[in-house]
Amino acid sequence: MGLQVLLWTMTGFYMVVVHIDIIHGDHLVAEAKAGPLDLRQFGPPQAVLERNPGITAMSAVEVAGRTAWRVQLPQGVRLADPASGELWKPLDDSAIRDAAKAYYAGSGPIVRTTLLNSLPQEVQAYGGPLWQVEFQGWARPTLYLSPYTGELVTKRHLLWRVFDFAWMLHIMDYDERTDVNNPLLRVATWSAVLMLTTGAWLLWWSLPLKRKKKKRKTA
Amino acid sequence: MKKLRFTPLLFRRVHKWAGLVIGIQFILWAVSGTAMALLDSAEVAGRAAPSPQVIGNAAETLLPPARLGIGTGTDALQLRMLAGKAVYEVRSKGSVRLLDAATGADVTVNAILARSVARTANGSEITSVTRMAEPNLESRDFSGPVWRVNFSDEVNSSVYISAITGELLVSRGDTWRIWDFFWMLHNMDYAERASFNHPLIIAAGFGVLFVSTTGFYLLFKSFRRREFRWVPFMKDDRKRIVTR
Repeated sequence: MGLQVLLWTMTGFYMVVVHIDIIHGDHLVAEAKAGPLDLRQFGPPQAVLERNPGITAMSAVEVAGRTAWRVQLPQGVRLADPASGELWKPLDDSAIRDAAKAYYAGSGPIVRTTLLNSLPQEVQAYGGPLWQVEFQGWARPTLYLSPYTGELVTKRHLLWRVFDFAWMLHIMDYDERTDVNNPLLRVATWSAVLMLTTGAWLLWWSLPLKRKKKKRKTA
Repeated sequence: MKKLRFTPLLFRRVHKWAGLVIGIQFILWAVSGTAMALLDSAEVAGRAAPSPQVIGNAAETLLPPARLGIGTGTDALQLRMLAGKAVYEVRSKGSVRLLDAATGADVTVNAILARSVARTANGSEITSVTRMAEPNLESRDFSGPVWRVNFSDEVNSSVYISAITGELLVSRGDTWRIWDFFWMLHNMDYAERASFNHPLIIAAGFGVLFVSTTGFYLLFKSFRRREFRWVPFMKDDRKRIVTR
């Protein structure tokens, strides 16, 4: 139990010391500056809606110099031709490299790109497939991009991976790292409360306070 | 000056005094952590947002973006459903407009619209609808004016709707409110309840880390071998020492 309290304080300390924006890797990406849209290129929504049933939202966007409708379909986000509504083909390796370089704020080159159909633990919260783009650097910065839109889905680096490991130790869910209500944690936290209460009790009695001595009954 | 010697006694004293200074927060962390582990995270998250409506009805009447009369200089444009009607959300230079996608007329997110959006998330009786110029603690993850729609369900749900875009932002219930109180105790950000990277918590975290490290060390120093006689293999070990 003492070991777990030590782990809680160590992982907790890491999580408060390293700012969450750094953990999220906000410094890894530059804000993209999009110019005003040329609305004349977009036809009536009807064509897009009839061609692709099930759209819940559609946005006018510009991707790598081309305008498109960004459509939200039941199977995910796709890009569609602004006039005909025909869906774009998934982006290839070189288009993904260009998109990743445009997002990346660092200076290092790309080490490798991989199209992943089954996702690793660090992006398990997202749906596949995703392009994984690794950059050179001590923290192994990695951008994950959608193969359908070239959009940045998320970013990972060493400090995030350490945080995630610390979080796992903190919430004691060693499989999924997400369940904050697992029985092990519930038992451990109750034990910690008990342990700290006894600690506080002992501390109180070890203080050099003047206490009334219990009168002993004399026969 | 007396030379400082790193004996268990010194650590015991330091541990005691550091514990006196930081002990309350240590206990608060344990208590709030216990409470958050006990509160079901699905109930804390509140009611799931309703799945978005498919843009379907009367698609042939929807105007193309160029005929909305919004001129040039549009930075972002989105077509979606809002309470059964297709709307365009248009952003230009930081301002946001909501337009009826069939007529191009401006749509204002008033109390009636807010009510019908909130209705899609919760079927129980609405007790009040109020507009707030700024988000409160419950809707702190968002910015801009919001509508708060209160329901009379078993957890006193409050549904927040953006007064600008009409989007359903979040639904909060009593389980979340209890959780959020303990989360405040845990992250020590008593005003905003949002940050866990401020100087106060870093200082307290360092103090508690110090107490736990010295405590862990002292744990090994405060046991004697004979206290483990009840453990079978330790008992054997001791016998060997004695007979040597």
